[in-house]
Parts: sequence; structure tokens; C-alpha cells
Amino acid sequence: MMLAHLLLRRRVALLAADALVGPERSRVESHVGGCRRCQADYEGTRSFLGLLGEDPLREAVRQGEVPVPLPVLLARVDLSIDQALARPTAHAPRPWGLGIAAVATALAIAALVPHVLDRTKKRDPERDALGPLVSADALDRLERTVAREQTARYLNEAQDVLATVASSPRDCERAEQRVDVEAESRRSRVLLARRALLFDDHEGAVAGAQPVLDDVEQILREVAKMEACARFGDVLRLQEEIERRQLLMKVRLMQRELLG
Amino acid sequence: MADAVLAAEGPEEPGSDLSLMARLSTGDREALGPLMERHQRRVYRIALAYLRNPDDALDAVQETFVKAFLSASRWDGSSDAGPWLSRIAVNHAIDRYRRTKRRRATYTPMEEGEHNQHYATEDPSPERRAISQNLGDRIGIALGALPEKQRAVFVLRHYDEMSLEEIATTLGLRLGTVKSSLHRAVQGLRERLSGLAS
Repeated sequence: MMLAHLLLRRRVALLAADALVGPERSRVESHVGGCRRCQADYEGTRSFLGLLGEDPLREAVRQGEVPVPLPVLLARVDLSIDQALARPTAHAPRPWGLGIAAVATALAIAALVPHVLDRTKKRDPERDALGPLVSADALDRLERTVAREQTARYLNEAQDVLATVASSPRDCERAEQRVDVEAESRRSRVLLARRALLFDDHEGAVAGAQPVLDDVEQILREVAKMEACARFGDVLRLQEEIERRQLLMKVRLMQRELLG
Repeated sequence: MADAVLAAEGPEEPGSDLSLMARLSTGDREALGPLMERHQRRVYRIALAYLRNPDDALDAVQETFVKAFLSASRWDGSSDAGPWLSRIAVNHAIDRYRRTKRRRATYTPMEEGEHNQHYATEDPSPERRAISQNLGDRIGIALGALPEKQRAVFVLRHYDEMSLEEIATTLGLRLGTVKSSLHRAVQGLRERLSGLAS
């Protein structure tokens, strides 16, 4: 009963919100019926959501009548499209723009090739005075930004896996009293493989994220080791660990920090 | 993308989403009218639930269909354009909400009477209107304090009455993430609105 309670308590709010269907709904209903604490939580949440239901916005949304007639809205959309198409955009270069870009690229390559080829020869002080085409600083900054974005993206995907494990994944259809973590286990293995690539370059750019990344890696390793149909107890242990480390919150905060 | 789907699947039913999107992707604006007629209400409901303001929601509907026209070639070719349009609407509402929130450091309740004009209850009692307005304001503040993902999931569930699977599709999230976000949103709102019943 205690095990079921710990696994299902996070589903009580979903039941109260009428968000559960099928076998999952039946399982949670059955548990709530026999667990006083969850029953109280269910009734409290149900009552609270009932009060939220009195938000006047809810009825307005339910009616959902667009406040202007369709022809008027269509005319506005038409006008906006005209304006959008009239604006020059960075993403849609004009055909002649492509030609100019091609010529400029060719000129730049032509300028660069002798510079590259001559690097092994004696340096010409006069040419050296022109300086590099792209400064080392700018390149370094760009690479650091890319490293931060890649790390943030990795954390985002890891967060999905952790959130699914933390919220009790689906029952396993192939075995009773087991939980289906096949997809999460597979994703964890992929993410762990990617983690190694994150730190080939520019470890300094994401040094601050190291503790969170270490925590995430530990949990992902546990998930990666699980069978497709994992035992309730194993999943529960992971859930408790994720909660104890406040990992989901830390991942969220670190993503924000990385992306500035 | 719509062209490729059209070519692969052969002739489709005229007036279907597939047909309309294929026409949009070639720049045929005549296809916009039927598409908007079919989906404008759904898009408006999503935007209104998120932005809590009918004028902002109307702008969002407009922007959604402009974006739909300009991005029609990137549509994934599914038979129903509804979820795709919903996602555009949600993304636009989120962006707009962020911009509005940055401009206003704190949530500013609507002017006196504005609630009445836009979504007044049928009951003409002044006391009832005042209670509704106060409730709406408090809920708006509490929702504004939720993290973005939780807010989006809760709004789509509570106001738009989408299923969890629909929410996952609309927001591009895994089902587990939706469940977790909804659970946290409800708990967060209960904490912030603990005095609601009094």
C-alpha cells in the first residue's frame, strides 16, 4: 500500500482534474478509495478546481466566439501578409542577392587562399599588418556560445527523461506490477553518449554546469541500466533520488543560466 | 512539405485541410478563408485562455493565420491542420505574454467594468460581478507566477479542455512531461490561492 501510495500520489491531482483515462484512471481511483490521505488530497483538489471553474474567463473560452466577423478578420490577415511580404527579410534573399553573395564569397576565398598557402613561408610584415580576417577572440566567443547552447539542449532532453521517470511512467503491458521505461532507458543511453561529446572543447564555457551535469548523468546511468519493464521499487527509488536532489529544478535553472 | 505530401498521396478531397494547406503553400490566398472558418474559433479559445484578454487574443488569431500562410510549406502534412495551428497559436501567445510581462513588472488588473464588457456572467448582480472580477484577477496573478510550461499545460487543460495527449502534441512535449507539469501547476496554484474559498 505504501509503495502504491508513493507511486500514485502524484496522479491524484490529475484524477481530480479529470485528466486520466482507461486503466490508469481505474488504478488511481482504486487507490484513492483505499487511501485516506489521497482521498483527502483528491477532495481538496477537486474542490479547488471547482472554484477555479468559476473564473469568468472559462465561460468566455468555452463560447469562444471570435469578436469580429470572418470577412473582417480575413481582410486584416490579408493586409498583414501583404506587409510581411513587402518587408525584406534576412531569411529570404532575393535571387540577385544570392548572386552577389556568391561573388563576394568567391572573392573572400580568393583573398584567403594565398594567405593560407603562404603561412608556411616567411611572413610578410606588410601583409601581417592587415591582421586576421576573423579575430581569435570572436571565434572563441562563438565557440563558447555554441558550447553553452549545446549543453542547454542536452539538459532539456535529459529533463524530459527525468520528468517522465519522476511522474510515474506507464504500466508495462507485458508484465504486472512493472513499469514501462523502455523509451526512457533508450533515450538515456543516447544522451549519455552525447554527453561525452559536449566536453571535447571549451569545458570552461560550461564549467558552472558541471555539478548539475554530473547529477543528471548519475540518474541517466541508472535509467539506462533498467529493463524495459522495470520494477516499481526501482522506479520509486529513482523518483525519490530525483526529488532529493531537486534535480528537475536545478536543470531548469541551469538551462536559463546557460542561455542567458 | 505540403507539396510532397500532395504528390505522394494523390488527389485529396477538395476543402480538406490537406488540400487547403497544399494550396496555401503555393501562395493561394483563397484557401485562407475556408481554413480560418474551420479553425479560427479553436485558435481564439487557445489564445484567450492564455492571454486572458480578448483584444490580445484577436491579435494572436490574426498572427497565427499570417504565420500559417507564410509557413505553409513547412507544415508536416498530417490530415488535420488543427494541432499545427494550435501550436502556432500557443507559441505566439507565450511570446506575447512574455513581452507583456516584461513591460509590466507586476500584473495589472483590468479596468473597472472591462470584465463586464468582455466576459460578464449572465447574473446581473453587481456583487456577483465584483466577486467574479476579483476571482479572475487573483487567478490571473497566480497563473502568471507559474513557470511557462506549467502555465501552458494548465491553461490548455483547464480552459481549453484538451486531453493530455492533445496537449503533448500541441506543445511538442512528452506525455510524462505534461502529466508532471499539470501536477505541479495544480499544486502551485493551490498554494498561491489557498485563501480562495474564504
